[in-house]
Amino acid sequence: MGPNGSGKSTLLRLVSTELPSRPGSLELFGEAFGPSGRDFRRRRDLRKKVGIVHDTPVHVEDLTGMENGLLFAELYGLSRAEALAVFANLFTSLGLDDALDVPTREYSYGMKKKLLIAEALVHDPALLIMDEPALGLDPPSRAALLRILEERSAKGVCTLAATNEPALAQELATTVVLLHEGEVVAHGSPSELLAKVGSATRIEVHVASSPSGSPTPGDPTAASMTHADLTTSDPAFAGLPADIVSVRRLPGRIVAESRSGSDVLPQLVSAVLAAGLKIERVEIREPDLTDVFTLFTGQALGPARPTSSTGL
Amino acid sequence: MTLPVWRTEWLTALRRRRLLVLNTLIPLAFVAPIALSSAPAVHSAAVFTVLFALFGTFGSSIPLIRDGESGLLRRYVLTGVHPGGLLLERVFANAALDLMELAPAVLVIVVARGSSAGQLAMVVPAMVLGLVAANALGVLTAALAKSVAEGALFSAVSALLLLHWAGTFRTPVPGTWQATLEIWNPFRPLHESLLAAAGAGGLDLDLVLFTIPIGVTLAVLLLITAASRYTIGLGGR
Repeated sequence: MGPNGSGKSTLLRLVSTELPSRPGSLELFGEAFGPSGRDFRRRRDLRKKVGIVHDTPVHVEDLTGMENGLLFAELYGLSRAEALAVFANLFTSLGLDDALDVPTREYSYGMKKKLLIAEALVHDPALLIMDEPALGLDPPSRAALLRILEERSAKGVCTLAATNEPALAQELATTVVLLHEGEVVAHGSPSELLAKVGSATRIEVHVASSPSGSPTPGDPTAASMTHADLTTSDPAFAGLPADIVSVRRLPGRIVAESRSGSDVLPQLVSAVLAAGLKIERVEIREPDLTDVFTLFTGQALGPARPTSSTGL
Repeated sequence: MTLPVWRTEWLTALRRRRLLVLNTLIPLAFVAPIALSSAPAVHSAAVFTVLFALFGTFGSSIPLIRDGESGLLRRYVLTGVHPGGLLLERVFANAALDLMELAPAVLVIVVARGSSAGQLAMVVPAMVLGLVAANALGVLTAALAKSVAEGALFSAVSALLLLHWAGTFRTPVPGTWQATLEIWNPFRPLHESLLAAAGAGGLDLDLVLFTIPIGVTLAVLLLITAASRYTIGLGGR
């Protein structure tokens, strides 16, 4: 997990051998890989063992879904009969049965993504690499994808996925790596990482930026956020109830941690107003991996996923 | 051997019916007025050779660049398929498609200029060799280009240079160093056979003499193409 530009896709491209790696920096299935140009045959052998789901699904637009599937299955070295047997289950699971005879040019983004997933799985890869795997999928397809990944995981097969969806990572991952500006800032199981941020409810008060778009002196939503707890550093937040563990600022929002859920919301809202800020909306949610990222980097990972929201 | 890329190229071409018709009619529209006119064979053959060579080179280069830009080549290569094999399949599939699309134009030349059966028999293998070479050249220019515009420029320049080297635009002078080099040029037999078919008389080239150097030339072109595998489809553009 990591924000845009943190190096997630680059990491996936390195692991898939699409990009050259420094000697000794990439080891897969017990084998070390050097820069492209060397190890060519071993790279090709490795690629046969890997399934890749890119963030942008690309197909031969004039071919039907089934023809595309068979094309990539044959490129992976499967016979037509083998591919058809595997695809029968995969296409049904992903809800693509009705579209197999349609040219992929007429597919929606979600359908193309599902076809891409089926193509990446057809040769039963020892390593599955996925970039934003659930992006663009409808809820049933998303559930089907999760089921497929769980089945693979139960068989001990590795999946490496880049995502900005904390729920997906928390639900599926055995290990989460948080990336920021090309560096690993934290890694561990979802429960280990979540333990670092505690269980207090998050109340996010989204506030309007100044008319000029630039932060005013003392503006607690200034982009140059710090880890400073506003309850000790800003008088407007000093008198908040003890159930509010901390109040921190992020670009465009104030984030409070509350031990008593939303009970402290009136006092928090009053404090924000007293600080001279205009409230746009309030979100109340349980902590997730985005909070872990914020803890380590002081920056937001992406838009929060509210469990409830109150417009003010 | 399943040749999935070969099959894909054919399926795609046959489904783009409008493009298929245009690719057949446009060369015909260029060739027919010249073939039916009283233009000298040397000039007619030069036009036909340039048209056929550029048809193969552009038709190979530009779709390959587009597939590189769309990420399709990257997907192919990351299945573990050998990039050289992939490109070879594309070259031969597209050369075969080109031959099919250019066949009516060739037929018009042969009929309009009253070519002999022997001359026709010479044109067919020369067309095959010339189109394979043109498609291989297109693959090379696609590997070097960073955009479709660059690909078109590289294709035009390299094909015209090879055509010049093949003696398409000048009168061959036996015994010169250019004449020695010409027999290595894959477009030479295409030009010579079209020259004969256009009415310049019988072929003065021994089939064996030009077939062997052509084979070597093609092999070198394709080897260089395969060597560019790390660029094509692997984030090089």
